[in-house]
Amino acid sequence: MNTLQEQFTAEARELVQQALEDLIALEREGSAGERIDRVFRAFHTLKGSAGILDLPVMGLTMHAAEDVLAAIQTGGLELTPQVIDCALACLDLVSEWVDSFASHGSFPSDAAEAGVAVTAQLRGLLVGDELKPNLSVSSANLTSEHALPQWVAPLIDVARGRIGQKRGTKFVALSYEPRADCFFHGDDPLQTMRKVPNLCALHIEAVRPWPPLPELDPYSCNLRFQCIAAASRSELAGIFRLVPDQVRMVDIPASALIREGETGDDSRLVLVCSIVEEQLRMLRSATDREDFSGRVGSAARAAMNALRYGSRVSLSDEIERARDIALSLLEATPLLAALEKALALLGRTERVPSGSAPEPKPQPSDRAGSRSLRVDEGKIDALGNLAGELIVLKNALAYLAKRVEDESVGQDLSRAVKREADAMERLSAELHAAILQLRLVPISQVFRRFPRLVRDMAQRLDKKVTLVMQGETTEADKTIVDRLFDPLLHLVRNALDHGIESSEERRSAGKPEIGTITMRASPAGRRFIVEVSDDGRGIDPNNIRLKAAERKLLPAEELAAMPDEQAMDLIFSAGFSTTQQVSDISGRGVGMDVVRTSVQQIEGRVSLTSTVGLGTAVRLELPANIAMSQVMVVEAGGQLFGIPMDAVTETIRLAPDRISQIKNNTGFVLRDRIVPICALSGLMNLADAPRSDSAAKLLVVTEVGGKIAALEIDAIHDRLEVVLKPMQGLLSGARGYAGTTLLGNGRVLLVLDLKEVLP
Amino acid sequence: MSALRNSEGTVVLVGHCPVEDAETLLQLLQASAGAHLDWTQCSSLHTAVLQVVLAMRPALTGPCGDPFVAKWLS
Repeated sequence: MNTLQEQFTAEARELVQQALEDLIALEREGSAGERIDRVFRAFHTLKGSAGILDLPVMGLTMHAAEDVLAAIQTGGLELTPQVIDCALACLDLVSEWVDSFASHGSFPSDAAEAGVAVTAQLRGLLVGDELKPNLSVSSANLTSEHALPQWVAPLIDVARGRIGQKRGTKFVALSYEPRADCFFHGDDPLQTMRKVPNLCALHIEAVRPWPPLPELDPYSCNLRFQCIAAASRSELAGIFRLVPDQVRMVDIPASALIREGETGDDSRLVLVCSIVEEQLRMLRSATDREDFSGRVGSAARAAMNALRYGSRVSLSDEIERARDIALSLLEATPLLAALEKALALLGRTERVPSGSAPEPKPQPSDRAGSRSLRVDEGKIDALGNLAGELIVLKNALAYLAKRVEDESVGQDLSRAVKREADAMERLSAELHAAILQLRLVPISQVFRRFPRLVRDMAQRLDKKVTLVMQGETTEADKTIVDRLFDPLLHLVRNALDHGIESSEERRSAGKPEIGTITMRASPAGRRFIVEVSDDGRGIDPNNIRLKAAERKLLPAEELAAMPDEQAMDLIFSAGFSTTQQVSDISGRGVGMDVVRTSVQQIEGRVSLTSTVGLGTAVRLELPANIAMSQVMVVEAGGQLFGIPMDAVTETIRLAPDRISQIKNNTGFVLRDRIVPICALSGLMNLADAPRSDSAAKLLVVTEVGGKIAALEIDAIHDRLEVVLKPMQGLLSGARGYAGTTLLGNGRVLLVLDLKEVLP
Repeated sequence: MSALRNSEGTVVLVGHCPVEDAETLLQLLQASAGAHLDWTQCSSLHTAVLQVVLAMRPALTGPCGDPFVAKWLS
């Protein structure tokens, strides 16, 4: 993909998203001029980009959407849910196309058909008012055109391209055949034709074949004038009042001109013109000499394709010639001239935005508004990796500083080294923090997709629901925010499908008819919390127990003894479903275990609370950053291991008498909970270091996935902030490790994945 | 007189071209077969003049100076 295409995909996605939000807001809050303007501009810009990139289908579709929105702007069309549905469908199509364009460099093969379907739908909205929505447009067209005299047909073709804003008026076709001696009566038929108002097409032809040149009589009129005008018969009769015997008039049904014009030639011509205009604008606005040939080449190509698409092959050829000249002269003027000429011949003068200011330059105020820079994620990652290396180096320096201190090479030197090492530590930490900041994005990036989804799902389920979003400005690492979408989608679907009751059910329960789903994000130290809650029917823990027993997840007696919270937690078990019916929204409820798994993958935790009759809340607790993690370096069996600090709840030195033997295992009681003890050296298949049984044991108490365990180790070394590198190459399949990092002395530290390690 | 031939042999229509110009134009074009016609400076023309142009089909230089003709007869 070249820069232009990359920019197009990024911009198109943003525009689609923004238009989508505005449309949903419009539906919720009613028509607001500013919003409609914004949606209109989004479609307009999309159309423009489609023109530049030579994507006629998209241009055509966007043009239709633009027309619909223009009709809403002017009050000609009401903003009904149907209109919104149509516009949303159109946006869906665009994002589909853009996705395909981004991955394959082209639109999907069915783009044309899909585009035509959506365009017809949009056009249908417009036609709806004046003409009955007519499914057989072409047949209606045929009959009306058949009734017209033959000479009218070519005129109609010309007129379609020029009808412009003259919609809704009457059209008359007129044929004027002046008498041969008319010049002697002082007639100037051309002058008469000039008086015809709203001329849409004019054709002048010889009545009889021209005689051989020497015999040509310049004062014998041999011309016939034919035209179509958006005027009434009486207006025209007034103009031709002196020659009524030489004039024939035929009414043209608007449908013959507009209906086909709307779906075909008219929009085609408009599209061709707008594409050519766009090229002019682009060529004019470019000032730098860089990439001159690329710019001229692409402008010419887009214009040529557009013209060919509009069956103006000769114009296209002219553009091609002009391009070659422009390229050889290294000067865009010839191409500009050719484009201008093409526009003029297409019957269009270039549209200059009102106020006669030429091209509105990107507004400076906009620029000041968001002083942001779009940077490829990969570049930031590269920067992050470099900072990671720096931190490794810093750790090495700290280690060196310690050695210098120990080896008493002189206090001054050791102090100096220590000072520099400290400074290095501070700076590298700041650098790393700054890079992490770069990766932070507001959670709204994922939240913003939900209003649309909730709207559609609610429609399908026939439920009434408002979606409340709070704390969207909470920031977290992009990777995490991106990966939140799926789990959140499951949760919102479940809330809507299983949580929120039908309107009748809610009414009889004395609840407000419209349900509420709340998505709330809030920062919590180094982590952040996202909560999805609903005010629906809630979950009865006894139901969960029943289902779990049905599905034989656990023995009945164990279930009965289980506290409610623990029973609720079963909802996250694989293969658990509480819904009676299978629906296409949340399927069989298999979502919840997927939620837990995917949240755990990003080091998050899920919990659920629910009150019967009042609603359910699912709480996700997630790390705000993943790039940096804290590990505790421990020694077991003569080796060093890292344990992620997230998993460590405390470290304990335990006297042997507190340890009790339970069957083959050992354990101890910690605040009324039995904690099993596992020797890390045993888990890692290492030889135990010899130690006396009477010595206190050093334990790291960990809690992973709700399970508590104590790891017996030989020593605790450091706590380090490290950048974890995932296991690579041959080791990528090794289980039990979360990754590796380099220690200050250059040794590799294996960081354990306790979920895998603990039995 | 607003139909004339310039030094390069091109037939030129200048300003308003009334009905009488039709004959002059016809003669000029007949006299020099293959002559170009420059009608860019013609501000308006009579039907008879236009008829000569349509019948003779000389090679035309530029769009017609008469905007109505330029618009509908290009």
